[in-house]
Amino acid sequence: MTELIERAAAADTPAVELSMQQAINRALRVLLAEDPDVLVFGEDVGALGGVFRVTDGLQEEFGDKRVFDTPLAESAIMGMAVGLAMNGWRPVPELQFDGFAYPAIDQIVNQVARMNYRTRGAAPMPITLRLPSFGGIQAPEHHGESLEALFAHTPGLKVVAPSDPGDAYSLMLQAVRSDDPVVYMEPKARYWDRRPVRLREPSDPIGTSRIVRPGRHATLVAWGAMVQRCVQVAELAAEDGVDLEVLDLRWLKPLDAEGLAASVSRTRRAVVVHEAPLTAGLGAEVAALVTEHCFRDLSAPVQRVTGFDVPYPAGPLEPQYLPTIDRVLLAVQRTLEY
Amino acid sequence: MAQENITFTLPDLGEGLVEATVLEWQVAVGETVERNAPLVEVETTKSAVVIPSPHTGRVVELHAEEEQAVPVGRPLVTFAVEGAPDAPGIVGRVPAEEARPARRVRLRPPTD
Repeated sequence: MTELIERAAAADTPAVELSMQQAINRALRVLLAEDPDVLVFGEDVGALGGVFRVTDGLQEEFGDKRVFDTPLAESAIMGMAVGLAMNGWRPVPELQFDGFAYPAIDQIVNQVARMNYRTRGAAPMPITLRLPSFGGIQAPEHHGESLEALFAHTPGLKVVAPSDPGDAYSLMLQAVRSDDPVVYMEPKARYWDRRPVRLREPSDPIGTSRIVRPGRHATLVAWGAMVQRCVQVAELAAEDGVDLEVLDLRWLKPLDAEGLAASVSRTRRAVVVHEAPLTAGLGAEVAALVTEHCFRDLSAPVQRVTGFDVPYPAGPLEPQYLPTIDRVLLAVQRTLEY
Repeated sequence: MAQENITFTLPDLGEGLVEATVLEWQVAVGETVERNAPLVEVETTKSAVVIPSPHTGRVVELHAEEEQAVPVGRPLVTFAVEGAPDAPGIVGRVPAEEARPARRVRLRPPTD
């Protein structure tokens, strides 16, 4: 079942103002402190504290045996995670940018995702791959990608993409404590999103979506940085008398078909928004699930608002590539008029 | 906001170059320079290039005279930079958050 963001009754800690970077950092601190098998490593995560400051101070606090720098070799980083996991560690490797994940795909797909299956459960892979993901920071080529469909399509991996600091904290705890490999996609564009956060232990099972904003005329389905864009769209639509629900999928594998169906059955219209190209993107999976579960309830076909079928562009073209507010509004209008 | 001094060292402008000669400074001490604005023209054994400023800040010190050769890795310029807690790190920039984003499309509410 989905949860409302205003779940103040369940507050277990006072709110502190944190950015997403800081929230993930806090979660890593908790994990390193509670479990001596947790290891954090990657390019520049140690002495520098990460290019996005996510691992800031962790090496000082936990030492260079548990938080350490690696060579600039993504395949080796993931290969090392596999070996460490086989020997009882709980690795939390970082690949500095999603575009640098490609050299490590062999390790991720052929080893991380399959080892549990291959060994009939004798060698689980409790690895959480931290992957700064998606665009929106106008970085050069190879520094912005949207790889969720690739990972979600790989049996054996779990995939999660938080959209705000509070969720980033809880989901990180959940990902690292899971005995299955999790690709944790950190939306770079939201790293500096600073808001009051209640640091909560995870309360929803893995694979649970959440309603960020309730509404009745259509459901906007998103994850990562596109959740905030959809919230903006919903606020603008409200000025026009259109009441949009925003569903943050969070987990892209397993994907919350039940929560998705519950929302769209009520609103009867769905628009899925993602940064990745249209063709064979995760929006197609969402559209298929909605059609399968809500066929009789739908007032309009599911609309997809996505990046274009081109290589993820470098900085200056990003604003043209990423789903704009107007493109999402037009898709909403198409579902309303159908 | 707190200021911090950041010294920019001469990068390797080619593959394995060991030094570059300062041809012309395009900034002066005390000036404020924008990130990516022209900083200095230098000549290597391969070509003359203009190095853009890596920071937005005030120029505190120029570490070389014009015509002087600077070894790769030695200080070139020191900037006083506003200490920004939201600095983007090394790659990319912090996205601007619009309080009220622009839109052109208006919606018509459904009749049902």
